[in-house]
Amino acid sequence: MSEAPAQRVPIEPGFFAIPDDPEAAPRLLGSRCRDCGEVLFPRRAICARCLHPELEDVELGPRGTLYTWTWVHFPLFGTLRADAGGYGVGQIDLPEGPRVQAVLSGGQGDFRIGMDMVLELETLRENKQGQQVVIFRFAPLASA
Amino acid sequence: MSLRDVAVLGSGMVRFGAHRTRSNADLARDAGVAALADAGGLTLADVDEAFVGYITPGAMIAVKAMKELGLTGLPVTHVENASATGLVAFREAAWAVASGRARVAMAIGFDKMNDMMRGGGGRGVGRDQIDSVILPAAYFALWAVRRMHERGTRPEQFAAIAAKNWNHGARNPLSDRQADHEVTVEEVLASPKVSEPLTAMMACPVDDGAACAILAPKDLVQRRHPDRPVVSVLASALQSETYTPGHTFLGPVVGPASMSRDTAQRAYEHAGIGPEDVDLALCHDAFANEELEYYELLGFCGEGEGEKLLEAGETRLGGRIPFNTDGGLIARGHPGGPTGLAQIHELVTQLRGHAGPRQVENARTGLAHLVGGGSVCCVTLLHRED
Repeated sequence: MSEAPAQRVPIEPGFFAIPDDPEAAPRLLGSRCRDCGEVLFPRRAICARCLHPELEDVELGPRGTLYTWTWVHFPLFGTLRADAGGYGVGQIDLPEGPRVQAVLSGGQGDFRIGMDMVLELETLRENKQGQQVVIFRFAPLASA
Repeated sequence: MSLRDVAVLGSGMVRFGAHRTRSNADLARDAGVAALADAGGLTLADVDEAFVGYITPGAMIAVKAMKELGLTGLPVTHVENASATGLVAFREAAWAVASGRARVAMAIGFDKMNDMMRGGGGRGVGRDQIDSVILPAAYFALWAVRRMHERGTRPEQFAAIAAKNWNHGARNPLSDRQADHEVTVEEVLASPKVSEPLTAMMACPVDDGAACAILAPKDLVQRRHPDRPVVSVLASALQSETYTPGHTFLGPVVGPASMSRDTAQRAYEHAGIGPEDVDLALCHDAFANEELEYYELLGFCGEGEGEKLLEAGETRLGGRIPFNTDGGLIARGHPGGPTGLAQIHELVTQLRGHAGPRQVENARTGLAHLVGGGSVCCVTLLHRED
């Protein structure tokens, strides 16, 4: 039996689900209003559309469509991805409704509006417990 | 008394820039003293209430900075609404006078964005937060790329707006950026890239500064300054976001775009005027592409007609509706808290007819617009009484 992969923990709890299978796509944690049906990300206690106070938990993604994007000509957080000369940022429309703003995986020439995107996790660092601290990104589907 | 019976008694500002050796309190004192002098030799003893706008310095700073002008016991309230802070402080001071609870009210704003950048605005910020990984430049670049996709807008058009505001700033001694030559579209495009398609010259600088306005009933202003046009407050509308599909809860947000349209509409309705009655406008041009959106959202042209308005030269000095006559956030600067009060200072200067080489001929009504992250929008209309 091979060595168990390092445990992955989210940068902040409550925003995305990490699958046990490292090959499986992560999901975003959202809410659906029990009254008007609006789907929201991240999770909310009160519906932002109709103010109804009963919402159910739903998992969203991992697919979406790129609504807009940009390429930032600075290292991410001032230090990461310096070799790539910067990083992508985009807004992704999920088929369930929400638009999600996120850092993108991929190079400067990889993005165009309307393309299919898929959710993935990026490891930011290892914590003191030896766990991998991860955050969600979106990547162009073809290169994922 | 209503808002329309309130007028600007005095206005002043410290030129924005890198004030490395001066504290926020120093900057606030200089702006406050300038506004009190412009009001006609007032001291803090003449001021009944103060609204103090800043974004970054922390707790207690409003009250402590006001001590620079005196310890008179007046009520002091801290106001913060990100980039819109200064206009919101002005709005509160105007309503304090309109309500009758203050005869003379002060709105004062300051910030040192250079300290914020040194204190952690740069490397590593947001690294352990899911909610703050996207720079403002990237956020507004998302607007720009989407507009290029929908309308076929070209980076040259964003650059033309930036060049215009740089060149307006060169005519304003209180502008941070003072180009010694006519800035060109080519030069703006050739400056370092920040976030596609935005370049450094399309973005506001990192600034420190302060600005102040003093408000009082129109009749008092008229009596104190019989030889000077009275600049009154026609309207000040403020709103936070209305939920719309596509709202992004995570990351910096300044929108949706309809927020600026709705806020402007409220301000026009309250004033009983329309965009056709406005002679000059100052808007949140932290990034040049924003100004193009606001031509449409503030009602100066139809949807999708912003590029046409720009290319006809209607939004530069001498045009039908000059935008950002003082250089805007791009040239005059954008420290944060005082930005809206610098807009008020420019409107007051223009409406009094004191703007020298950048004077808008026979300017009677001016508009100031800011958005702030979170997000909010504030639109203020000032008017010269004849």
